Amino acid sequence: MVVFFQVIDVIYEVINYMGLLNGSASFMRFTVEGGPLPQPFWDWAAEKISAHSFRDIDDSLDEYSIGWVSVKNMFDSDFAYASYAAGDYIVLSMRVDERKVSSAVLKKVVAKEEERVKLEKEIPKLSRSMRLEIKERIRTQLLRKSVPIPAVYDLCWNLSDNTVLLFSTGKKAMTQVEELFKDTFDLSLVLQVPFLVAGRLLGPEKEDRLDNLKPSVLV
Amino acid sequence: MDIVDLIQEKRFIGQEFLAWLWFKSEERGGSVELPGIGDITVIFEKHMLLEYGEGDSNEKVICRGLQTELREAKTGLTLGKKPEQARIMFIKGDYEFGVTLAAGLLEFRNVRLPKTVDAADESDDPEAVEGRILERIALFEELSKLVNNLFRMFLEIRTGDQWSSELTKIQKWSARSVDA
Repeated sequence: MVVFFQVIDVIYEVINYMGLLNGSASFMRFTVEGGPLPQPFWDWAAEKISAHSFRDIDDSLDEYSIGWVSVKNMFDSDFAYASYAAGDYIVLSMRVDERKVSSAVLKKVVAKEEERVKLEKEIPKLSRSMRLEIKERIRTQLLRKSVPIPAVYDLCWNLSDNTVLLFSTGKKAMTQVEELFKDTFDLSLVLQVPFLVAGRLLGPEKEDRLDNLKPSVLV
Repeated sequence: MDIVDLIQEKRFIGQEFLAWLWFKSEERGGSVELPGIGDITVIFEKHMLLEYGEGDSNEKVICRGLQTELREAKTGLTLGKKPEQARIMFIKGDYEFGVTLAAGLLEFRNVRLPKTVDAADESDDPEAVEGRILERIALFEELSKLVNNLFRMFLEIRTGDQWSSELTKIQKWSARSVDA
């Protein structure tokens, strides 16, 4: 039953995909810091993206995997169906697969196992170390049975002005993409919050005025 | 300054931008003249989130209503609350964008892009896919630039000498809207 609901979750995530390619979308804006970009750029990018492409964990016991896949197909980490190069842009999806065990399920199975061990050993109470061992063993067993839950976030890197649109507004996705981008390209993503956008739009000559702004009373 | 402190301390810039844009959108019946670009249409619609205070004393008010004048939201404004999120429609030429702008981080949420001819082509041919991707990116960037242009217009006024007279106009507008 647990596996059934996990599969439903996976289908739900895939069906409700909304991002760069279709549907309505939400995004945040970043600048890319730390250049200049190495040359020849596309050879360098190909090597980096390949080294950090997504590795499937369906047939392993790993709990977590993160990497790049094609925006067209979350199962395509070789970019066979759509290239990540589109004009002056790199378009990628960050895929994160994670095995999870719900705390309610863990609690239930652990309680069942504790009762079984008590009966087997004919003891009224389990020691703290025994209970910890049971909990860890059950957690590992349940994780191995669980289907990794995927999440996919699209990203588009404008190479001419070194900006990135991330098609998510989730804080967790933002942190994950910042880390994966840094690991892949050794470049930093800087979230363009209003104050930083303002600095870029106004230029250095108005920096002092911007720094000294205080909130206004609108009533 | 650390980015977390920067977001918190300068949060008011995004909020005041939304309040100014709301005022600007109603000043000339939805038409806003962008320097060097011309008139665009800006309509605040059906959803607004206002905030007041920080930390434990933080209050939020959500105002919804199709085709309303967001009267309750304006009342909130006169009580010192500031807009944190607003659903806005932008019309530039033949293009119509819908977006929920969030002031704190300047996030673009639930973006609705204009309908285009190429978007109807569902072919999996790599060239068609690349064409669709490039077209969608161009539209997202068009919206991003549009908001940047409006933000720049606000910032020029906000950091300039005109701000005190613009602020008086905003105060009169919100008070008048509630009295009406």
